[in-house]
Amino acid sequence: MLRHTMNRVLGPGLRSPAAPVLRMYHERVVDHYDNPRNVGAFDKNDPDVGTGLVGAPACGDVMKLQIKVDEKSGKIVDARFKTFGCGSAIASSSVATEWVKGKQMEEVLSIKNTEIAKHLSLPPVKLHCSMLAEDAIKAAVKDYEAKRSKLNASQDAAPVEKAADA
Amino acid sequence: MAARLLRRGLLRAPRPLPSSSPVTSQSSLLFSLSDHSREPSTSANSPPFSRPNLSCNSICCRRLSSLSEESHGPAAIDYRSTLQEDEYHRLANSTIHDLLEKLEEFGDSVEIDGFDVDYGNEVLTLKLGSLGTYVINKQTPNRQIWMSSPVSGPSRFDWDQNAQAWIYRRTKANLIQVLETELEKLCGQPISLS
Repeated sequence: MLRHTMNRVLGPGLRSPAAPVLRMYHERVVDHYDNPRNVGAFDKNDPDVGTGLVGAPACGDVMKLQIKVDEKSGKIVDARFKTFGCGSAIASSSVATEWVKGKQMEEVLSIKNTEIAKHLSLPPVKLHCSMLAEDAIKAAVKDYEAKRSKLNASQDAAPVEKAADA
Repeated sequence: MAARLLRRGLLRAPRPLPSSSPVTSQSSLLFSLSDHSREPSTSANSPPFSRPNLSCNSICCRRLSSLSEESHGPAAIDYRSTLQEDEYHRLANSTIHDLLEKLEEFGDSVEIDGFDVDYGNEVLTLKLGSLGTYVINKQTPNRQIWMSSPVSGPSRFDWDQNAQAWIYRRTKANLIQVLETELEKLCGQPISLS
């Protein structure tokens, strides 16, 4: 599968064994690109949904990560993402949605960008993508918590969208 | 007869004739159009035309930054107002070029297998063989310098006018100090990058 991917990514001309080792996407990144998990969106006005929106188009990376939380248990029951960016960014946010499912909200706050980067074998220049994915998780949780506190305070479910740089 | 037709033609023309109401409404429309020509949206030649783009962008920036103030991490600022682009380029370029020189010197004095310093397309890549690779680059839209470190991972530095240094807001870390500390730890030899 890797060879097939390599041919597709690099083109037929580079199939010779004498070709120098080129920097390639790790097969996990390619897998997430070919078979994206959890792409889509929830209704951001849903009180059970937290939305994290991070990045900026000018930087070439925008991630929207949404979590659906079970009110009683505080467990994240489902997640969706939409990402504008490079393959590493897409894979990082895809991995993030996989990892938050079934976990408690407090638990997912401890997901570190280093773990995502290690899982995807991201090269140094793409570490920023994994950090953005970590930020997206945190932003989604924060949004959900803000919504809940607003709900408790005023019985009004006001959707709040957050954008974070840096 | 011809004169009457002519007069009728004149009346129909968009002239400010208060006597004829349809003409007045036409002329008022023209007048308002001509007023608009002073505004940037319809004029292509006047200098203010460039303004709406900037104001739109600064509105977007302001909106983004005000939203991000509520998000996790330190508050973001309206970058456009803090550091002008040419000022940013001057500062960032001088920092990175300075680093490049000092790292090259460092490479000459230290014994690291696979040591390589490369600068291309405004990206500084420092290879330390099996110890890892640093990538330092400019991120112009954010007026930041981004660094990827094998020790501390990714970080994004903003120019702090007060400190006159590149600071990573989340940790208050200073770019130069972080590099000095990490490199000394990795390579076993102190380095001065300031």
